[in-house]
Amino acid sequence: MTWVVPASLRKDRGGARPFARVLVANRGEIAVRILRACRELAIETVAVYSDADADAAHVQMADRAVRLGPAPATESYLRADAIVAAALQTGAQAIHPGYGFLAERASFARATEDAGLVFIGPSSATIATLGDKVAARRSAAGAGVPILPGTLEPFDVDAPAAVEAIRVAAEQIGYPLLVKAAAGGGGRGMRRVEQPKELAAALAAGAAEARAAFGDGAVYIEREIHPARHIEVQLLGDGAGTIVALGERDCSLQRRHQKLVEEAPAPLLGEEQRLGLHEMAVRAARAVGLVNAATAEFLFDRDRRFWFLEINTRLQVEHGVTELVAGVDIVREQLWLAAGYPLADRVIAAAERASRPTRHAIEVRLSAEDPAREFAPTPGTIDRWELPSGPGIRVDTAAGPGTTVVADYDPLIAKLMVVDETRDAAIDRLSRALDETTITGIQTTLPFHRFIATDARFRAADLSIDWVDGTWAAIGHERRRAALVVAGEVAAAVVGRDLALDPPRATSAQSARPSARPEATGEGVPARRPRGSAIEPGPSAWSRVGRTAAVDRWPR
Amino acid sequence: MTSRLLVAPTPSSVLPGDAAVEFDLDGPARAEIEPAGPGTVIVRARPTDDPAANPLGAAPIRGVFAPPRRSAGRVVTVEVVVDGWRFELVVEDAARARLRRRATRVPDATGASGPTEIRAIIPGRVAAIHVVAGDVVEAGQSLLVVEAMKMQNELRTSHPGTVERVVVGEGETIDNGDLLVVLR
Repeated sequence: MTWVVPASLRKDRGGARPFARVLVANRGEIAVRILRACRELAIETVAVYSDADADAAHVQMADRAVRLGPAPATESYLRADAIVAAALQTGAQAIHPGYGFLAERASFARATEDAGLVFIGPSSATIATLGDKVAARRSAAGAGVPILPGTLEPFDVDAPAAVEAIRVAAEQIGYPLLVKAAAGGGGRGMRRVEQPKELAAALAAGAAEARAAFGDGAVYIEREIHPARHIEVQLLGDGAGTIVALGERDCSLQRRHQKLVEEAPAPLLGEEQRLGLHEMAVRAARAVGLVNAATAEFLFDRDRRFWFLEINTRLQVEHGVTELVAGVDIVREQLWLAAGYPLADRVIAAAERASRPTRHAIEVRLSAEDPAREFAPTPGTIDRWELPSGPGIRVDTAAGPGTTVVADYDPLIAKLMVVDETRDAAIDRLSRALDETTITGIQTTLPFHRFIATDARFRAADLSIDWVDGTWAAIGHERRRAALVVAGEVAAAVVGRDLALDPPRATSAQSARPSARPEATGEGVPARRPRGSAIEPGPSAWSRVGRTAAVDRWPR
Repeated sequence: MTSRLLVAPTPSSVLPGDAAVEFDLDGPARAEIEPAGPGTVIVRARPTDDPAANPLGAAPIRGVFAPPRRSAGRVVTVEVVVDGWRFELVVEDAARARLRRRATRVPDATGASGPTEIRAIIPGRVAAIHVVAGDVVEAGQSLLVVEAMKMQNELRTSHPGTVERVVVGEGETIDNGDLLVVLR
């Protein structure tokens, strides 16, 4: 499909646009998100797709689309050569990698640069430095940013001398500790070690997993912080060396290192603490000469200290909550920065306000995963798809009714974000938004989010990164079982006496049992409360009686 | 006319511990169910002293359902979503269900169980198989690994036994409900 690209009438930047044509090397909601930013800047767009995505939303939305290959990512979205060729062939000037796939491959950034195109993100040299997690730790430590106690050199566990050296280092660091892959994150290659006797096995297992995932079995060890919150800082940098922090996000609700809920700002931090955190993140970024967008990740311990984890050299999934609070479109700024423009004054002003946030945003990741089965993937075809709208709601998605969620890619189907003046108000808004959400055809993570939105511990910001793994299974089991009882009632009522010999019309479902309902006269509806009377919490009898009356009065 | 219905999750939707529930259409109602738009109902639990009868609390809750599908033998399957949880439920006449179960059960005076069929609970690709026919497996032992959505999902057996048959091969693409392994 080709849309007519309007000439930009913008008055900022003298009506200029950063690029004439950009290729988006991704799929799903993030491809759509980036295409939208391009359209707003009157940039022509090129999408790429696999055979599984020939009719996908990002293909429909782009001005042109280039097929990469069959569904498996290794034959499509991970083919750096095919993507660079597609950009050259379609006359794109720049490539936006999104997140995942090739976004943090230094080799892809370098291939883009070598082809004379602009890689929309940090330089290939920065990506290479920060992709080596041990080098990133050394660099942060050199900049005076506190890093977790651990080793600063990667170990090759096949060398007996190295294993002995790790054992000595582990004694100094103290147990429990974590074995981590030097070449990458995402929890792959990570092993928890509680006692010295477990160390050798954990090193071997971690190295094997790291080799399988990253082609490099080098590992390092780090003290485990427990309990801890995950807090990260959004960074933007320009070619002139100006780097700013746009605010922080709390992403403590994770399961096995996959984030489920993110919010901005991080709750329970004071202005001084925010300033200190933002300043540390900027220092760590300056040490590696960061340009464009990146995120510095920290752990926050019980003694309210921050520990540097790593810097991700890409647009994060959860960038939207920062946009809602800071009032800055991060993808748009990425495009300007990639074209060589300096950070705009209003972005610098937003960064200066970031330690005194006046809004609160929360994102939940709706994924095709079953929260009752350890979040196992649930690919399939979406049937009903009703997502919330109204004040303070943002939904980023590439899915809709009839969309097939395939097993080849990430299970994220929509990011639901809410923003309000305070955290309490944002949670109430989230709860309302989730009530408006209906998805059928596949199981999603909606039950988990519905629980979180009403949970007292979440409301109290009593968060830690291992909370979901330790607590959710039992809660989820109970809640699912309760829902099954209600679902059984619904099924019996819908199918009814005749066992659907005559399939019931969806609108005429009746309870299978006679039920004593009030007459549809409005009698029994309590009169309006006198002024000044206390309002009791919870739903009043009015909602019950009034609703029944309305249902009976209105045509079906 | 049917007055007693049996409702149970389908094999692709069932989890350990799920029970079939019998409903007496002529008996006292446990909940009020009101239509609230196409494929949508509001469920209100009736006031009761028994908290088990009111598992989601006193507040009304929305349920959504897809048009029921009728298959052979007066069995109806309906998809229902409550609190975000999705169930595929089989509804049938309770008396018929009992008869059918009796007819299909392998008669066995000793009470020993027959072969256990282990089926796929997610679609994907079989990445690795850890057992062969004749292997003795313990509860919790890994049988095979299914790769889906860039994750490796290990399939473990919930009870001990001997592998009678491995039905799938490595690299094979499988669908929800496909037979994978037979244990005895």
